[in-house]
Amino acid sequence: MSEMAHKAESSVPLLVVENLHVEFDTYGGTVQAVRGVSFSIEVGKTLAIVGESGCGKSVTVQSMMGLIPMPPGRITAGSARLKGNEILGRHIIKGRDIRGSQIGMIFQDPMTSLNPTMTIGDQIAEPLQIHRGYSHAKAFKEAINLLSMSKIPEAAKRARQYPFEFSGGMLQRAMIAMAIACKPSILIADEPTTALDVTIQAQILDLLQDLQKETGMAVILITHDLGVVARMADDVAVMYAGKIVEQGSVDDIFYRSAHPYTLGLKLAMPTNDPAKQHKLNPIEGSPPDLFSPPPGCGYCPRCPYAMEICDRQQSDLIALSGHHASRCWLHHPEVTQRPEDLTYAEGQR
Amino acid sequence: MWWFIGKRLIQGLITVWFIATATFFAMHNVPGDPLLNDRATTPIIRANLEAKYGLDKPLLTQYFIYLNNIAHGDFGISFAQENREVNDIIREHFPVSAILGVLAVLIAAVGGILWGSLTALYRNRMPDYIIMFLVILGISVPSFVIAALSQLGIVTINQLLGINFLPVAGWGTIYHMLVPALVLGLSTMAYLTRLMRSSMLEIVYSDFVRTAKSKGVPPARIFARHQLRNAVLPVITVLGPSIAAITTGGFVVEIVFAIPGLGRFFVEAVQQLDYTVIMGTTVFYGAFLVFMVILVDVIYGFIDPRVRLS
Repeated sequence: MSEMAHKAESSVPLLVVENLHVEFDTYGGTVQAVRGVSFSIEVGKTLAIVGESGCGKSVTVQSMMGLIPMPPGRITAGSARLKGNEILGRHIIKGRDIRGSQIGMIFQDPMTSLNPTMTIGDQIAEPLQIHRGYSHAKAFKEAINLLSMSKIPEAAKRARQYPFEFSGGMLQRAMIAMAIACKPSILIADEPTTALDVTIQAQILDLLQDLQKETGMAVILITHDLGVVARMADDVAVMYAGKIVEQGSVDDIFYRSAHPYTLGLKLAMPTNDPAKQHKLNPIEGSPPDLFSPPPGCGYCPRCPYAMEICDRQQSDLIALSGHHASRCWLHHPEVTQRPEDLTYAEGQR
Repeated sequence: MWWFIGKRLIQGLITVWFIATATFFAMHNVPGDPLLNDRATTPIIRANLEAKYGLDKPLLTQYFIYLNNIAHGDFGISFAQENREVNDIIREHFPVSAILGVLAVLIAAVGGILWGSLTALYRNRMPDYIIMFLVILGISVPSFVIAALSQLGIVTINQLLGINFLPVAGWGTIYHMLVPALVLGLSTMAYLTRLMRSSMLEIVYSDFVRTAKSKGVPPARIFARHQLRNAVLPVITVLGPSIAAITTGGFVVEIVFAIPGLGRFFVEAVQQLDYTVIMGTTVFYGAFLVFMVILVDVIYGFIDPRVRLS
């Protein structure tokens, strides 16, 4: 597979996730939320995981971090290796919790993600006290530094305040300061800007990029906003119904979209180009029921290019070029005719 | 914070004034009067006595005399007991009720928080089922039944051990207080356990606990620093009314265990139409409870910064 080739040509990846399966037991049955997800991320790079609500992108990273409640959640298969160490199903490596020290995480809603009865400074100081054994005074001083690194004015005063005295954007900055406190090698940002308004979104994304440049950490960015992806990502994985349907560099995904779902997402983006039609182009229909996932491609009922085989059997990820790959029969070598919309040109294979 | 406390104190004073006023007019409208039981009252003697005690004055004047006396801390003299001031009754018997009540509230609060947290952390497993069964028992069995049963228990234990392990009734030492306080606090403990359980369950799955996990905070520290303090807030809120329920509801337990508390006088005064004692103890209890609620509010302010600072 292309992924293997990619590994060989660059340094050893920081984090390799292979064939991850996650299920949830509910009253209505078992939901197969993640159905065999594999990806890897290298030092200092940004990987964006894109997909609509319920496609399993948050569950993927949360199961890696041991944050899904078990039960009802269950990791049924797969592995995730951080610098060669298996972290799936356990998070203590050599006596240290990797969470907070090696992997930092920020969440969607900063308003509820911070403890309302603890000062911001104490919350940022906490990982330093735990992972580095700092005294409270030393950790709190470092917390003030981190707050000013996250561009919060009057950091010393702000550190003594409580979350309810902060605005949403400020809280997300504080979350970021907390997540990078121990200089983790990976920062997972689970929809970091979804709950913020647009101008604040831009500031938070700038901050993430600046901090990434300064610290050299890798970022896994979960989002459903293609604008954010275009701005931030080096690599992109597009998820649909618990599987990655297309992955590649950000240019591959935007300029050489190979999966009909990626194409649908792109066409559904609103535009302000006066030459183009202003009507929105939604993807009709809804994703499949993950209580009983279909044997074929989950996108088949909504896909304008669906073929007979799509309903019965899903394709593997088919390598296209470099590490660009698509989970669609249209790219099978035996397919001779491809729709023109899929701009992925012949001969590039 | 000082402004917050001052504001609550002023509100409390108004509440106490309201209680005093309501008690006064309620007592005035109760059928019968203080001179009803005296056999040799002719209308003239009656009029003389009324003039002597100021009962012939207009209602409002009587009300202001009463308010003035209360403001000076004078609740008058008992009608039913010879030569005893209401103040003496309160001074002698309230400390007993207060110690019993405070002990009961402490047991109820600590127990409720502990059992509630435990049931939430072991949700839908054995400890949860057992504790919740006992909680329903504690809420639904009335305190006089539990009081009598616990006395029976003490007797049996004393007999089995052959020594006086715990006194069955009476007052004096800490051993006299333990069982009555436990019995008195039991139903409140059961109620607080349920409250703590649901509040803790909400916190266990909250976003900020997930954040704490993502920081690698060990479970014990998550419990102590992130879950407990937030989950305990609703429990603190109902602690004020709980103190009310415990101190005023104490008379049953006081009677069963032969404890010389204020509750018994309160009840007897109502039966005997002992006007000054009824009014005195009512206003005193009212003021005490208002003070407790204010105290709880202040504690709440220390635990939840949002209350303190807004």
